[in-house]
Amino acid sequence: MQLSITVKGPGAEVVSYLIAKNPTNLYERGEKGLTVRLVYPTFTSEEVQFLIYVKTDPVDLVKNSSDFYDITHYINDREFAASSIFVSSIRKALGTALNGKPAEEYASWVEHPFEMELTFGPIATDLSNRELEALFAPMGYTIKIEYGESFLREKSSARFITLIGKQTLQNALKHISILIPVIDNYKHYFIDERELEKLDRYGEGWLEKHPQKAFILKRSLRFQKMISQSRFYEKETKTEEKHEPPKLRLNDLRYEAIIKYIKALPKKGTIVDFGAGEGKLSVQLGFIEGVQEILSVEPSNKERLKALERFEQAKEKRGFVEPQSLAGSLFYYDERLIYKDVMVLCEVIEHIDEYRLAGVFETIFKDYRPEVLIVTTPNQEYNVVYEMDVAMRHHDHRFEWTRAELRQKVEAWSKLYPYQVSYQGIGEENQQFGQPTQMVIFKREEI
Amino acid sequence: MTEINLPHAGIVLLVGPSNSGKTTLLNQLIQEQQIFSSEVVSSDQFRVLVSDIEFIDWNRRPKNEADALFYEYQQISKEAFEAMDYIIAKRCGLNKLTFIDATHLRDYEREKYLQMAKRYHVPAIAIVLNLAETELLRRDLARDFPRGKNRIKQQYQHFKKTLRSIKKEGFRRCYIFGEEELQVLNVNRLDNPLLIDVGNGIDIIGDIHGCFEEFSELLSELGYRENEEGYFIHSEGRKILSLGDVMSRGPRSIETLQFFQKHVTAGLAYMIDSNHGWKIARWLDGKNVKLAHGDENVKAEFDEYESKFGKDETERLKEQIKELLLEAKSHYVIRKNGVNVAVAVHAGIKDHYIGKQSPRISDFCRYGDTDGLDETGKPVRKDWSIAHQSSEHILWGHDPRTQPLLVNNTLNIDQGVVFGGNLTAYCFPERKLVSVKAKVDYANVPDNPLKELESKRLAPPNIGKFLDGYSVLTEQYGEIAFYADSTKSALDDLSHYTLPLEEIVYLPPTMSPTPKPSSLPGYLEHPSDAFDYYQANGVDTMIVEKKHMGSRGILFLFKNKQVAKEYIGRETLGSIYTRTGRAFFKKELEEQILQVLNSDLSSYFEKYGTDFVLMDAEILPWNLKAKELIMNQYAHVGEMALFDRRKLREQLKKAAANGKDVGSWLEETDEKIHNALVFNEVYQKYCWETEGLAGIQIAPFHTLAHSNETFFGQPHTWHMEKNKEFSDLSDLFLETEYRMVNDEDSMKSAIKWWEEMTEDGHEGFVVKPESYVARHKGKLLQPAIKVRGRKYLHIIYGIDYLQPENLSRLKQRNAGKKQRNALKEFALGVEAVNRFVRRESLERYHECVLGVLALESDPVDPRL
Repeated sequence: MQLSITVKGPGAEVVSYLIAKNPTNLYERGEKGLTVRLVYPTFTSEEVQFLIYVKTDPVDLVKNSSDFYDITHYINDREFAASSIFVSSIRKALGTALNGKPAEEYASWVEHPFEMELTFGPIATDLSNRELEALFAPMGYTIKIEYGESFLREKSSARFITLIGKQTLQNALKHISILIPVIDNYKHYFIDERELEKLDRYGEGWLEKHPQKAFILKRSLRFQKMISQSRFYEKETKTEEKHEPPKLRLNDLRYEAIIKYIKALPKKGTIVDFGAGEGKLSVQLGFIEGVQEILSVEPSNKERLKALERFEQAKEKRGFVEPQSLAGSLFYYDERLIYKDVMVLCEVIEHIDEYRLAGVFETIFKDYRPEVLIVTTPNQEYNVVYEMDVAMRHHDHRFEWTRAELRQKVEAWSKLYPYQVSYQGIGEENQQFGQPTQMVIFKREEI
Repeated sequence: MTEINLPHAGIVLLVGPSNSGKTTLLNQLIQEQQIFSSEVVSSDQFRVLVSDIEFIDWNRRPKNEADALFYEYQQISKEAFEAMDYIIAKRCGLNKLTFIDATHLRDYEREKYLQMAKRYHVPAIAIVLNLAETELLRRDLARDFPRGKNRIKQQYQHFKKTLRSIKKEGFRRCYIFGEEELQVLNVNRLDNPLLIDVGNGIDIIGDIHGCFEEFSELLSELGYRENEEGYFIHSEGRKILSLGDVMSRGPRSIETLQFFQKHVTAGLAYMIDSNHGWKIARWLDGKNVKLAHGDENVKAEFDEYESKFGKDETERLKEQIKELLLEAKSHYVIRKNGVNVAVAVHAGIKDHYIGKQSPRISDFCRYGDTDGLDETGKPVRKDWSIAHQSSEHILWGHDPRTQPLLVNNTLNIDQGVVFGGNLTAYCFPERKLVSVKAKVDYANVPDNPLKELESKRLAPPNIGKFLDGYSVLTEQYGEIAFYADSTKSALDDLSHYTLPLEEIVYLPPTMSPTPKPSSLPGYLEHPSDAFDYYQANGVDTMIVEKKHMGSRGILFLFKNKQVAKEYIGRETLGSIYTRTGRAFFKKELEEQILQVLNSDLSSYFEKYGTDFVLMDAEILPWNLKAKELIMNQYAHVGEMALFDRRKLREQLKKAAANGKDVGSWLEETDEKIHNALVFNEVYQKYCWETEGLAGIQIAPFHTLAHSNETFFGQPHTWHMEKNKEFSDLSDLFLETEYRMVNDEDSMKSAIKWWEEMTEDGHEGFVVKPESYVARHKGKLLQPAIKVRGRKYLHIIYGIDYLQPENLSRLKQRNAGKKQRNALKEFALGVEAVNRFVRRESLERYHECVLGVLALESDPVDPRL
């Protein structure tokens, strides 16, 4: 991580006073476990170049991180990338210039625009060259981008940026102080009020009118709570009417259909929501009158935590039966799930390899024996209507079936067991392709 | 001469009024060293222990004082008895003999100890001292604290009542002695009839059920030869121990019973009580029993016997057999050098029943732990074996299992010979199994338990067993426990990403680097540290195998699709999966590879008569699995580092040219450019473009199992030969280069070899003890230690890890947890495959696999 600034033209030498660094000496200081070094590769009356770079400690850098147990954590670009680490490390060394407080006699040079060239990098960023340009062009820079030497891959992922323009030294430093972290988009510290203050200080005089202001704010402060506190914040007047993606609405329709069906059942005291995910359906089941117990079964710990939060929020509401979140899986036998009134597999089976389903349904029909089993799954025929450019609706779907395919499977799973089967569609109906979601209801018959 | 037979354990109640000589008698026995003083407790002794007072005399006191003293005495007595009874109960629990020295004149006092004996399953006997009242009164005057005339007379009244009733109260034995009989007393201490010595070895036989032919075959296989008198004798003097159920269901019950009658009587064999045995015993004893479940066959055999040999001969035989069966013990405790080492029992036992006898224990041992009946009227069997904690190895039968089943140090050796399974013998203390296959399914019942077990073999595991954490008992590492959190995260994996549970029959263990960092400067790891580890642990011969630059993969290959169904419930040619149980290849490519391997290995399956082969391999190239990692991480970081450093050098050079004193900075930058170049060179070694099958290589360095055996007993040289054999069979298979290390020279040349390969950027090699499972002083050793090259480690520890200031800090690494996990995972892997090959249930082999994943979800420094 390095920055080189070259100033040309009469008075260039003043730069050493502006940054308060003696051009004849090497500068080296420790800064929070890092080493900051500064040298003047060129120092003439017409041209002055100073280079500042940071030597990181790779062992120290990877210590005490939450990623400690991830192998990729030990080979990472934080050692090299021009980033927030870089900006905060050089802040002290370049403080005099950044604050515009040189010795009295040079104060007038603070406002002096120099012909200037700033080179910094390498940067690791998700921004395109055009996007990078859009960040710097408004302040009058022309931008040059240089790529590294890439092995194996077709495209390099390391860039050096050179900015050319006429700027006061202070402004140039202010620009990069804010924009390097924006480009890098990774903060090595917690974002708090001090960040607002930094933004106020270094953004003053240029950020107000920057066309990318909203973007810069977003990447600098991350959280809406912080962003809205910034003095650069402008309420976006979003007028674009967002079209609800059909998938979202379909989800609600599915819940609606399931709940409507369960409401009408005479026996609905105990419900198992199998593959409950983050508990969206479970929580709605909790409001059905007559329900006494909901077992929200999900194998993923992460999802279960989300579900618990969701249940917690609904807890205080009237008439709500809090679902119990259980760690469970369709591939095991779970004696807590036997003989329940209703079992729901809402958009679950298509996440399971086809050949494993027979076993799953055997356990349900033979061991769990719910009074009613409700299964929903996509109707593959309907995908045409969505004009999708991928084969399936979700990357983890192992299959999507047509209505005929589903019927055939259902027949095979249930033929040995006393269940009556009926089908429903959910979602907007298409003459030819039916409805987007298929729902199968298995009802246990008295024997 | 009067004789007293003392049981090996239990309660001996002395009964008699004060002055009848109880204490005197016991002291005499102690004096004569017939009993230990610690075997005697007395109320007087405990009164002193709790209160320092042995006796309070309240006679001749004013009433108010007498009342107070009487109350005090009662208080003391109450506490003394409580303390005494507590001690007695503890002794009963430990199967010790205790003499209780108190008057015991009231029936409730005696009943208390009868109950206690029952509760602890020990016998209670009574010794009653019957002296004349006049003698008692005479003695009272002579003692230190006379009890007084009134009290003696009162006691004598109670005693007379006791004399009338005591014989009927339920004591195992009741001795009543007058003054004369006490003169010459011979005390005989009985041994615990349940204890037997291991002697020259015992061959424990599972349920025979009248399968005499198979039994005879088994005996001959075990080395028993019939002598002229018709006794089957083992040349080494071994004995036979039957776990019971020698009759019923099968074709030749009488012959089998006769065999045991003869050999048990001659002291050549033991036979344990059992459910069928007890039924037949009661039938022979004339009890009204319904003969079913194959017991009716025994009656039929006796009927036939009678028609052949006549009624008298049959009655004589019946009488003998009845004796045999009624005398059969509930269980035996096998002792070695006077220490309990094993227990032989028919259906099951609780730890605190071991070495004890009672009707309740007999029942439990016959039927096991039952919990009522199920819908079809069969007993619901509870699993007593889970609760077993004491150190005895318990051998049992009764409930047939397809294969000998070791759970929690209990071993089931009933392999259902009568249902067409096997008759198993377990040689103790050698712990060797010998079995003979049934000629036919004799029982021929619709609910054949072996078939039922087999049909339920792949039933989904009960998740309730795992959710709160659980443990697995492994042969190699003992009990391994898993916590709820890591178990849940493993369950999450197994519910989303892995192959079906049935198909993951093994997961490889993690591998530790050298336990200590290298002491050599400039090296983090070096082969000598691995050699040191094994040599320090008594391993003289080691094998070093070149590490392939790939990733671990398990190949589970079936002879054909159909046969797979029998093992994993699905028709498939097999699967290739990663060390976390996920599919190694994309579906189509896997299918292609399996097809090729299947046809390449067809002769292999034939040659070894196996339905499958399971192997642990390294699959190349590395980037099949890790391409993304390389692209997004290594290549990017390598580029960033080099770019940054080269730019820096450019600037510093310029500064130097302009007279700046940046020599040391430049030097440092040059070094770091070199580091970055090494880094870029190393990771590129791992990548080569592959398209479909071309370029894929598989090095199977462990051949784990065939359908009928596992190969953990084979040394690594054997596994390397297999590796060669496979590479001759298929182009997909790759040979592994290896060297043996067994002396100074071979060690030196191995190190040289390592230096050469790693200088080239190669990952390094793996050092293993020659045998697959290596132990030192009983402790399991690391199955393998990886020694990674200096260059390679750049992509693990970072581009500049060799800089002295970095290396010194990195050498502080601690591989302890990694090593522990490696041992546990190794033991679990071996256990899983053994269980699978023994055709144990999915739940049984899956718990090992789940365990490996649970351990892996427990964070360890990934650079190790």
